[in-house]
Amino acid sequence: MHDDILTGVLLDDVALTLDELARACNVETEWVVRHVQAGVLGGETSVQVTSWRFRSGDLARARRLLSVERDFDANEDLAALVVDMADEIRRLRAHMRVLGIER
Amino acid sequence: MEYKDYYQALGVEKTATQDEIKKAYRKLVRQYHPDVSKHKDADARTKEINEAYDVLGDPEKRAAYDELGRGHRPGQGFQPPPDWGTQFDFGGADANDFFNDLFAHVGKRSRAGAHGGAHGAHAGAGGGGFQMPGEDIHAAIAIDLRDAYQGATRTVSLRVPQHDAQGRTTMQDKTLSVNIPKGVTPGQQLRMRGQGHPGVKGGPAGDLYLEIQLNSDPRYRVEGTQVYQDVPVTPWEAALGASISVPTPSGTVEVTVPPGSQTGRKLRLKGRGIPAKTPGDLYLMLNVVLPPATSDRARELYQAMARDLAFNPRDRIGA
Repeated sequence: MHDDILTGVLLDDVALTLDELARACNVETEWVVRHVQAGVLGGETSVQVTSWRFRSGDLARARRLLSVERDFDANEDLAALVVDMADEIRRLRAHMRVLGIER
Repeated sequence: MEYKDYYQALGVEKTATQDEIKKAYRKLVRQYHPDVSKHKDADARTKEINEAYDVLGDPEKRAAYDELGRGHRPGQGFQPPPDWGTQFDFGGADANDFFNDLFAHVGKRSRAGAHGGAHGAHAGAGGGGFQMPGEDIHAAIAIDLRDAYQGATRTVSLRVPQHDAQGRTTMQDKTLSVNIPKGVTPGQQLRMRGQGHPGVKGGPAGDLYLEIQLNSDPRYRVEGTQVYQDVPVTPWEAALGASISVPTPSGTVEVTVPPGSQTGRKLRLKGRGIPAKTPGDLYLMLNVVLPPATSDRARELYQAMARDLAFNPRDRIGA
């Protein structure tokens, strides 16, 4: 049992660097760079690579892309399409819940 | 320890080829994927399938598992022999599973990913005497909407490997008390530095990432920072307008129902959604509820309305 109360930081307040995102996903930084440059992974990536920053949604998306690529030997475009479609399903389901159609 | 039959989990024979195992895994992953599956236990099955494939999909781990599991059946009590497993060396898989319990006493020297490809980056080269940072852990923590409004302290339980001075690894339960900051929204990631897997040979510990999830609450629906809540009103409150008290996630508020309201009308309470940096709004969705016509007096009132109000709700559909 751990008595201390741990205080973390939200990735939306303190974003991850390229190295940190790669480590969190257990991939090489090249994997991240390739996916950003292919336009399938977001983040604040308009400036130099060393200044790239990634937030909660980027980490979740990177891990989901990895999961699809790994589970199905999918290429990055196909994995991105699957993740985009899954996101759309989640968005629509959330909206249906708001409208009281699906609980 | 209870023996888990990974072959049964994937629905393959013990003699299955690696290709057959991969095909079975992919089929099941698609079938039980939480985004598409209608199965109630889709999450649990997905975890079981992933755990099984993490071992059977890796020929070396599979060989070790086969060696160990001879003669055992699912659900049977199981204790590996004391010197068992010393010829094997694994690491890098998710901590919370049967296989890693079996290998808990085996020194962790390599971190090769189970599935190759993009999985094994920081892992790759093993390394006898090298320092290596511990792996990050990813988990989710489910909180109530009230916690998102007020902040809270919640506990999360993890099963993580611990290395002793001899480099041996044991699995230990670890319970952490975590401060949930006010204003969090579903999907946000909370990073706890140094709370991941311990480093190897003095390397730094990994981090723990906790994804915020909300427990479902029949009273509320949440979309980002926006919160939606049904509010039942009487026909006269809706028709004539009224000031009503409504319990909301941030406390009871007095709300003015405009006259002429109908079911489905949305009343926006600005800034009363989740109090993130940019606070969301709370939408009260009015729901007109009819009093039951179960008494003589109630029936008289409905009959009087029917008689005195020339009201046809179906005139727009040509009735």
